[in-house]
Amino acid sequence: MTTTTASRVSFSSLTPNNIGTVRKLNSVLFPIKYTEKFYEGIINPQVEDFCKLVYYNDVPVGTICCRIESKDGEDNLYLMTMGVLAPYRTRGLGSQTLQQILTAASSHTTPAIKKIYLHVQISNGAAKRFYEKHGFKEVGIHKDYYKKIMPHHAWILEKTIEHS
Amino acid sequence: MSKIPPKRTLPSKEATLFKELLTLYETRQLKKGIKTSDQILKKIPEHGETLCMKGLILTHMGRRDEGIEMVKKGVRLDLTSHIVWHVFGLIQKGEKNYEEALKSYTQALKFDKENLNILRDAAQLQTHLRLYDGLVETRYKLLRMRPMLRQNWIALAVAYHLGGNLLEAKKVLENYERTLKNLPDYDIEHSETLVYHVRLLEALGEWSDALSLLDTNAKERAIVDKTAIMEFRARLTSKLGSSDAEHSWRVLIEHNSECYDYYHGYLSNLGINLSTHPAQALKVLQDFAVQLPKATAPKRLSLTIAPASFAGDDSILSFYNLARAYLVAGLTKGIPSLFADIKSLYSDPEKLQIIQDIVEQAKEDNTPPTDPSSSTSPSTSEPITYLWTLYYLAQHYSYLSQHSKALSLLDVALAHTPTLPELYMLRARIFKRAGDPIRAAGAMEEARALDGQDRFLNTKSGKYLLRAGRPEEAEKVFGLFTKKDATSPGSDLQDMQSLLYLLEQADAQYRSGRLHLALKKYIVVQKIFDEFDDDQYDFHGYSLRKFNIIIYLNLLEWEDRLRSNVAYIKAATSASRIFVAVHDDPSLKTPASSLKLSDKAKKKAKKAAQKIEEVKKAAANANSNEDKGLEPSPAKDEDPDGLKLLACEDPLERAAKLLQPLVELDVQDVDVLGCVYDVAVRRDKLLQAIQALNRARKLAKDHPEVHFRVAHARKLASSLPAQSSSPSSVDPIRVFKDEVDRILPPEVSLMTFNSQYLQQHSGSCQAILAASRVLSKVLESPTDEAEGVAFMTLSTAEDVKLDVKTALDVIAFLQSIKSTRVEEYRKACDGRFELATVFKTSEEREKLAEEIFTLTREGSSNSVNVEPEAELGS
Repeated sequence: MTTTTASRVSFSSLTPNNIGTVRKLNSVLFPIKYTEKFYEGIINPQVEDFCKLVYYNDVPVGTICCRIESKDGEDNLYLMTMGVLAPYRTRGLGSQTLQQILTAASSHTTPAIKKIYLHVQISNGAAKRFYEKHGFKEVGIHKDYYKKIMPHHAWILEKTIEHS
Repeated sequence: MSKIPPKRTLPSKEATLFKELLTLYETRQLKKGIKTSDQILKKIPEHGETLCMKGLILTHMGRRDEGIEMVKKGVRLDLTSHIVWHVFGLIQKGEKNYEEALKSYTQALKFDKENLNILRDAAQLQTHLRLYDGLVETRYKLLRMRPMLRQNWIALAVAYHLGGNLLEAKKVLENYERTLKNLPDYDIEHSETLVYHVRLLEALGEWSDALSLLDTNAKERAIVDKTAIMEFRARLTSKLGSSDAEHSWRVLIEHNSECYDYYHGYLSNLGINLSTHPAQALKVLQDFAVQLPKATAPKRLSLTIAPASFAGDDSILSFYNLARAYLVAGLTKGIPSLFADIKSLYSDPEKLQIIQDIVEQAKEDNTPPTDPSSSTSPSTSEPITYLWTLYYLAQHYSYLSQHSKALSLLDVALAHTPTLPELYMLRARIFKRAGDPIRAAGAMEEARALDGQDRFLNTKSGKYLLRAGRPEEAEKVFGLFTKKDATSPGSDLQDMQSLLYLLEQADAQYRSGRLHLALKKYIVVQKIFDEFDDDQYDFHGYSLRKFNIIIYLNLLEWEDRLRSNVAYIKAATSASRIFVAVHDDPSLKTPASSLKLSDKAKKKAKKAAQKIEEVKKAAANANSNEDKGLEPSPAKDEDPDGLKLLACEDPLERAAKLLQPLVELDVQDVDVLGCVYDVAVRRDKLLQAIQALNRARKLAKDHPEVHFRVAHARKLASSLPAQSSSPSSVDPIRVFKDEVDRILPPEVSLMTFNSQYLQQHSGSCQAILAASRVLSKVLESPTDEAEGVAFMTLSTAEDVKLDVKTALDVIAFLQSIKSTRVEEYRKACDGRFELATVFKTSEEREKLAEEIFTLTREGSSNSVNVEPEAELGS
């Protein structure tokens, strides 16, 4: 991947005011319509560090959204969505974005994040390779994860967070 | 002051109390003040001065009517006391009745010639009323009484200056400067005075005196405003033809390299004529561009100066090369305002073509490869550059009225990057220009949804919704930014003096035929301008106290031309048209729609009234010490819907009053003069009418609005009696007839005049419409003849270019003459303007609006298709 030096990449937190941009990005990036609950969740201050808009030269071109799942006294980050508009791919934006979240997770204290995991549709090898490059490991397959799109199955990928 | 009348004299105990009362008022101890005055009045109930003071304090406490009544009584009881007149003047000033207040102050001064407070207040009133002779006198008195006070000198100089006597102003300053001793360095007040002195000398043409005053005081650090020093220096040395001048301008350019005036100053000092010797100018600017690589101004200025077909000996300086460098840099940087910056060059068609070629080429250079599989090797071009290039081109073609082309470019841009609000805003603007306010509002709302924090987008969206006839949605959008405790978003915007909102709201009501509501809002705009006028009052004292002399003089100049502002012009002309319409057709006074107010509107009005009542109550039971000032609190609006206003007895007088400031300011605008004419002829003010017509003809002899009024004037002239009965030396009828004969010789018949006009301007649809109006409304020809002419606007001849706005005007005209061919015309336009929706039937429009606005609403909230979370979007 190449990174262009002259271009500025920046991130901003999600608020009720820029959620319209997230909606717009989601509508072109993903084949799924998200629920109102999803949009309410990502502007929760608790996940501020893990839900971002990605700007390229001050134009919003991508988004990443995670939620915190607490189970059995363990707090994990579930990566719900991540995407960059097609014309801006292969510029290292995705890597920078993911890295941003991983760094935030490793320094997060309340709660401390144990691991981060996500689903990838089994037709999407490129995505899988992308996450593996960033230290994610396949830990299993979730059968019939997608109900309305083909193929239905999804890989589960995860990465343990090392705390600084 | 020689003898105190016996009825004013107080026994010693009461005299002490009265002195106390004055102090209590000065320190605003209102409750104690009332008590003290009551003590005096108990013994001497008819004491005028005490009654006035008590009345004044009551007014301050919000018990206005009672207070004023008491003040008036006090004045009557002691007509030779300066105190009662001073108090009365204060009350009148509080009511913004400046003329009367000044009269009271003059009265007060008769009985106390050297009262500083009264003199100062009088000076402020005289400035406000622009009574400069009196002002000089007052300021002179003040100076003589208190020559040690610096501001008294300045105030006198300024008074002379305002009265146009610059020489005297200069003398005062010179005398003043002689009185000064041991001034500290960096004294801002003194510095401002000296800068003013330099400006005065410059205005008097005494340039070398000005320069030496400037230089001496700059060196002595007496003038601290560095920019002012440099600017005056450059200007003065240029005027004196000094060899220093070039350097002075260069210093300024290095100081602020984005100021166009400095470059113009530099070039004109070199004696370079930009239009005859562009090569020389370009060379100079090129040097600056090299020397100051970050500066945009020299590069942009070069584009204005370089001729399109410029074949200089230096090919780098050709327009093509200069423009390409400028545009490519702008597109690469992603400057959103690039088109707005460049479009003034489009007045030159050759430049337009060159720019179009350059940007089209840039688009080609930056188009990403069509085969997406090759994206493993990233393209060399920047996606952002491509995006801004598309945006530029879409604006370019929209400007050229090539709406479809602009829209398809935008479609490409939106598929590329759907998150840039500018793209939706432009889409909205293109739809608006193409005659589709509904889709325009939809697109603007889409832009707004992307960034709810952006008030610019918010305002735009609200405005577009108003234009699309969706006032309720507009109000909701505006409400996202207005105060939450206001009675309504609209009332908050009105309190905030938002002229933009008020005019859009008024226009929207006008378009939908609710004249009373439209008129109401136009008059609010007029009142806001009155407030702007009043706002300067405090500065007459403040600015001189602070020695902000030059800024203050600029402010007064601005205030004097205040009502030439476009917002006032818009409000005044629209309101006067409504008044004229109501005069011509009194049945418009009772609009059918207004009689059945919707329940919702009624409730709203009730709520608003309640709120005002509450505020009033709070004010009434104020027995507290709180100072409410002397200005009356806003009265309850007895006519919130403007129905009484619309039904007023004197519509023409009101219209004339609205237009009067525009006549006085000699506003150069054909529409304004047309309105002045229309009002004047209806008021039988023939001289005013002919004067307006002559001014309009001077501006644009063949303007359609002028043509119609010339025809009207001719017909009016022939209907007037030969001799007027008025004994005055100037016979208005004679003058009017003579002037009309001069404009349109009597041997030319009106019919001929009109058909000649039509022939000469057969390509202008507005002219065709004007000819048709003359036929119908002046010549009273049969409807079918006027219709026939109006339909010529539909001609497919190449030189006849009908636009959406004119087509709408034609429809309005056809409706006004009760033509049976309105539908035919509408359908023809509907076929011709493919993108427009304004020519659809109202049912069709309503249906489309439902579609568009439900869609926008869905875009911001959808809850279908429940799916679990998704994956990487690739």
